[in-house]
Amino acid sequence: MANKEKGYLALVLHAHLPFIRHPEYEDFLEEDWFFEAMCETYIPLLDVYERLTAEGTDFRVTMSVTPPLCNMMADPLLQERFRRYYSLRLELAEKEVVRTRNTGYYEVAKMYERKFRRIRELYEDYYHGRVLDGFKKFQDMGKLEIITCGATHGFLPLELRKEAVHAQIKLAADDYRKHFGRGPRGIWLAECAYNPGDDVFLKAQGIRFFFLETHGIIYGSPRPRYGVYAPVYCPSGVAAFGRDMESAQQVWSAETGYPGDNRYREFYRDLGYDLEYDYVKPYLHQDGVRRNIGMKYCKITGKVQLDQKAPYNPAEARELAASHAGNFMFNRERQIEHLNGFLGKKPVVVSMYDAELYGHWWYEGVDFLEFLFKKVHHDQKTIKMVTPSEYLTVHPDNQIVQPSMSTWGDKGYNEVWLNGTNDWMYRHLHKQVERMVEMANKFPSADGILRRALNQCAREVVLGMSSDWAFLMTVGTAKNYSTKRFIAHTHRFNGLYEQIMGNRLEENYLKDIEWRDNIFPEMNYRVFSTEEMQKAARS
Amino acid sequence: MTSSGQIKKNNTAPEAEHKALPEGYGTTEAALLPRDPNWMFIYWEITDNSKNNARKEHGADVFEKGRQVIRVYDVTGGEAAKYFDIPVMLEAKSWYVNVQESGRSYCCEVGLVMPDGKFIGLVKTNTVNLPGGRVSDVTDERWMAVTSDFDKLMQLSGVEYIGKGSGEVAKSLAQRWEMLRAVFSRASSWGVSSMSSQNLQKPAQKKFWLVADCELILYGATEPDAFVTVSGRKVTLNPDGTFSMRFALPDGVVDLPVKAMSKDETDSREIDIKVTRATTHDGK
Repeated sequence: MANKEKGYLALVLHAHLPFIRHPEYEDFLEEDWFFEAMCETYIPLLDVYERLTAEGTDFRVTMSVTPPLCNMMADPLLQERFRRYYSLRLELAEKEVVRTRNTGYYEVAKMYERKFRRIRELYEDYYHGRVLDGFKKFQDMGKLEIITCGATHGFLPLELRKEAVHAQIKLAADDYRKHFGRGPRGIWLAECAYNPGDDVFLKAQGIRFFFLETHGIIYGSPRPRYGVYAPVYCPSGVAAFGRDMESAQQVWSAETGYPGDNRYREFYRDLGYDLEYDYVKPYLHQDGVRRNIGMKYCKITGKVQLDQKAPYNPAEARELAASHAGNFMFNRERQIEHLNGFLGKKPVVVSMYDAELYGHWWYEGVDFLEFLFKKVHHDQKTIKMVTPSEYLTVHPDNQIVQPSMSTWGDKGYNEVWLNGTNDWMYRHLHKQVERMVEMANKFPSADGILRRALNQCAREVVLGMSSDWAFLMTVGTAKNYSTKRFIAHTHRFNGLYEQIMGNRLEENYLKDIEWRDNIFPEMNYRVFSTEEMQKAARS
Repeated sequence: MTSSGQIKKNNTAPEAEHKALPEGYGTTEAALLPRDPNWMFIYWEITDNSKNNARKEHGADVFEKGRQVIRVYDVTGGEAAKYFDIPVMLEAKSWYVNVQESGRSYCCEVGLVMPDGKFIGLVKTNTVNLPGGRVSDVTDERWMAVTSDFDKLMQLSGVEYIGKGSGEVAKSLAQRWEMLRAVFSRASSWGVSSMSSQNLQKPAQKKFWLVADCELILYGATEPDAFVTVSGRKVTLNPDGTFSMRFALPDGVVDLPVKAMSKDETDSREIDIKVTRATTHDGK
């Protein structure tokens, strides 16, 4: 059996949401993003890992769980609110099973009841509210490789100061250690945004590899011998894996991608709009406005109006997901055989996706992954699934290439995060970083309230750095919210900065901000000092 | 700072979060950021103090006499060998800079070109190294044997897909959503009819019975900062510019004029919806 394979498949899922937590409101619309992703992607993935492990199917997957996501998953307030979220949906699902009896929607109603029961079982009985323990368990078994990401998904190529780059990486590595009990071996650079030279800060934290969009490798210098089908070492010795576009397109493509099949679930037809108002009202937000509640009863059906959509058939959709998984595997087998012959070496095909594609956008995507893992394990010998760490252990010799600046965004560079909708942010963001560095250098060992204020300043700076705000402004969804968030963090930072430099700290002001923005409880503001950055750059 | 939800009663005083960001920070400085192989973004702030210093040194009318420009230097290899000027207004405070040659290092200086050709620099940026945006000319000698296959390898690597990453699905989903919204906003009622729950009350003391009623839901979307009215009443928009409301629908004609005015009040749109309801019981 050993070494029969012709090449490797590394499946990489990037799980991330911005830090959204509003204790000042009883009920907050944008917190739903997290709860939806928990119900549709993160917990269903754990469910797959549990089932595969129980039935003895070996699998390999690499997943980022970004620091904002870790902080939200570990936060008691959000844990409590998530319980409320899934409990309400379970209650509605149970009512719906009764209401839809003898209608075409009975099967899909039963599916939601099963789904929310299972979520409750996993969340409460398996993980006792601590889903990170679930991910850690599979990492400790060697099946899942969890990688980190910049502290707040900061977009590094648009930072002027290396102190900011260092802080994003160092905070992430420390946070990872706290949650997973060891240092991170790999990182997902937010938006795959790579700026040549920043890899020295990865190396300083013991990080051995990261991921790049195809042209980050292909446009590297000198020319990469194996294209994206073998990692390259940056001059610092950190490995860069490049994205395989063939497998990416198979899933992503608007025309030919799997998720567009008519038998899959329709995303835009939701019970939040479909049900009679008074009946659904208890499951809406407090303002009573109809919105998506995440329960959807129709299939895509075809190019028809929303009111023409046919009932969803869960069994039919699951079968389709199995056949798409078979097709995906078949294509990878042919691809890997071909590459093996062409390169004279076992290629590694790196298939990278947003985790939320699976389950949230493509509802059956989690089933697809489960079938893919099973088929790769049972039905073929051409492909071996690996994690990047495993690959580098077996293949430590790789070409040294300086990769090119690149991102995985539209047009391949920084434009998504730097255009007319969001370029106004950067002068404020850069000023905050400059002031933060100034303070970290000025106060080498603050204590008491000054220390608390400096730590809070550091939290506000990193929260403002999230690439999510600029992204949401570009795509135009939640533009108001992202704009308000960026402005709020700027004001909070500037307010504290003025109080610190004017030596007139107000504890109540500080306390209020600490209560709102509690990410990174162990924050040490010195992470922004020039000295720490230089030490890291030299290591 | 939100679109939904109620402020807790025991909340501390809400912050003044809606105040504007600072116009400037009182420092003369400039920064240059890379956008892609041929474009950079520059922003600058030039304080009154700096302007006065320039007037003192070069004459009170220096800003009237001089052409205001961004001077773009090619500093590849450490020396400013070549430059070109882009005419700007200093008040613009930011600009997108296009360069012909990718893969080189640039820095910019905002300043004045005087009639005699002399350049007065006011503020200089950091240096940016732009990506080449193409396959490297540098080939490792050890791998020369495989260079003839490189074009094929690039094809296999999917070089034609560059820049069509995750943005694509977001775009296609957004387009589909727009299409669907356009479709169903023209349909008068699409959802409630087929899937309404059996939540209506059975009348007391009747053996066989039937009750039925209907409601009216109005949906729409516009620019998030627009001013919208329905039947003359102001509508609060969701942050993404969508809105929806539910109306009782008595027999007769209901007229629902929907008006939207752009934030700067230069543009407006109007959609007039008329709904007629006629209810009969057992044919009467």
